[in-house]
Amino acid sequence: MSSAAEARFRIQSPPPTNRAVKVIDLDSATDADIARLVADVGEADLVLMLVSAGADATSAATIGSACSAKRVMTHTVIVRAAAASDASLSKTLAQVRPWSLMVVVVNDDDYVDDILSSFR
Amino acid sequence: MLKKDHNDLLTQTGPDTPFGRMFRCYWIPALLAEELPEPDCPPVRVKLLSERLIAFRDSDGRYGLMDEFCAHRGISLWFGRNEECGLRCPYHGWKYDVTGQCVDMPNEPEHSAFAKKVKLKSYPLVERGGVLWTYMGPAEQQPPLPEYEFATVPAPQTYTSKRFQECNWLQAMEGGIDSSHVSFLHRGDINTDPLFKGARGNQYNLGDLRPVFEVVESAGGLFIGARRNAENGHYYWRITQWVMPSYTIIPPRGTHSVHGHFWIPIDDENCWAWSFDYHPTRALTETELTAMRAGKGIHAKVDGNYRPLANKDNDYLMDRAAQKAGKTYSGIEGFAMQDASLQESMGPIIDRTKETLVSTDSGIIMARQKLLRAIKAFTEQGVVPPGVSLEHQRVRSAAVVLPPDQPFKDAAREALIVHPGVAPASV
Repeated sequence: MSSAAEARFRIQSPPPTNRAVKVIDLDSATDADIARLVADVGEADLVLMLVSAGADATSAATIGSACSAKRVMTHTVIVRAAAASDASLSKTLAQVRPWSLMVVVVNDDDYVDDILSSFR
Repeated sequence: MLKKDHNDLLTQTGPDTPFGRMFRCYWIPALLAEELPEPDCPPVRVKLLSERLIAFRDSDGRYGLMDEFCAHRGISLWFGRNEECGLRCPYHGWKYDVTGQCVDMPNEPEHSAFAKKVKLKSYPLVERGGVLWTYMGPAEQQPPLPEYEFATVPAPQTYTSKRFQECNWLQAMEGGIDSSHVSFLHRGDINTDPLFKGARGNQYNLGDLRPVFEVVESAGGLFIGARRNAENGHYYWRITQWVMPSYTIIPPRGTHSVHGHFWIPIDDENCWAWSFDYHPTRALTETELTAMRAGKGIHAKVDGNYRPLANKDNDYLMDRAAQKAGKTYSGIEGFAMQDASLQESMGPIIDRTKETLVSTDSGIIMARQKLLRAIKAFTEQGVVPPGVSLEHQRVRSAAVVLPPDQPFKDAAREALIVHPGVAPASV
């Protein structure tokens, strides 16, 4: 049943997901942006936080606790890791880890688009 | 999900494909040394990266890997006579040496020079760590021999097996970096399998069934960290390494051996799942070797052609009673076939445009993207891909307990590279 011929008979339309993903850039987000996201977080299936390695990510706690209360998945992508020192990356990690169920640490910003486009 | 053109790019590894050309930048495992055990032993058919080849060992013990078919009339040289330093086609007697050079053409006039003009395509075949490795790329770009640790430790410290897997290489390899499936599919085996049980780290695994994952770029590929709570606010990390294109090392448990895989395309719908166990500082015990040969741990029981005895023709010996009782999660016995059965059920090449990935699939997402970037850089600019460098190959997995704020790739930096004669970092 797992032959190439049989694969033709698989249902060709995957089920719709209507997944709602909220993305926030912690490097540039204002207090108003954070407040708006926290107010809307119940509508999301996934909240993706972007932050540069070494940048301040204290707002991850505000967002993360709201997601935790609403049982919403949190995913943080730390970008420009290669440009940051171990100590500054460590500082960012310490801020996001308690509030992120998935952390990805990359060197290039453009991985973010690829990650988002992978979530149908 | 993945766009169709990207799925095609990553799953097609024939000689005229972009990824096929990049895959040919690497030394890859071709056969177990046991398949060519002695001079003048029977030749072995080999298909790799969609090329049909024949492997043989000549009278002097030299290894050869070349086009399976005689240049004269296209006869399979598997029927050949392996004798007097060459493989002779039984149809008209043409004979080839280990480089593919025709050295005798008895149906041409005596002393004819024509044989010198006939040479089959051939590739180097070199034994290292009980594995015969080949390099199928341009000769002028051949890298140094591979230095993955399992292949460089003394022979008594390493064991390698292989099994035929009936699906595209990528969906098999993606299973090797999909750390989140372990808590489900393999949960019945961690505390019972002789090659896993008894480690302190197992209690962290079983005590925290919702690990948090961290995926971090490495020079050769990715670190994939699974984090669980440990004592005193610390984290128990299991750090898998993926080295491009298809080498994965699983974190060790306690004093057990380290294990991992290579996933090598046979063609676009089949692959070899290579599985190794080794210990950097001690010989494997007879008990461990017996368990590995019996298909325990990450190995599988196979027939003479390395096809698993549990396979799709017998529904992988599905045991519904064991599934219901929780002895196994899927009803299939053994880590290897638990993985292979599900990966083969996807079909020969899964249509990734229809997936519904979630955040815990980030290791898979990142691996695909790193491969796509490497193919682009290689194809457009000739950039040597990650994983070719010996430095990228000299890496280890690790299981460690760390303070909560530390990047594991830095805190465990020394544990993640090979130090010959130093025990692995394991809990």
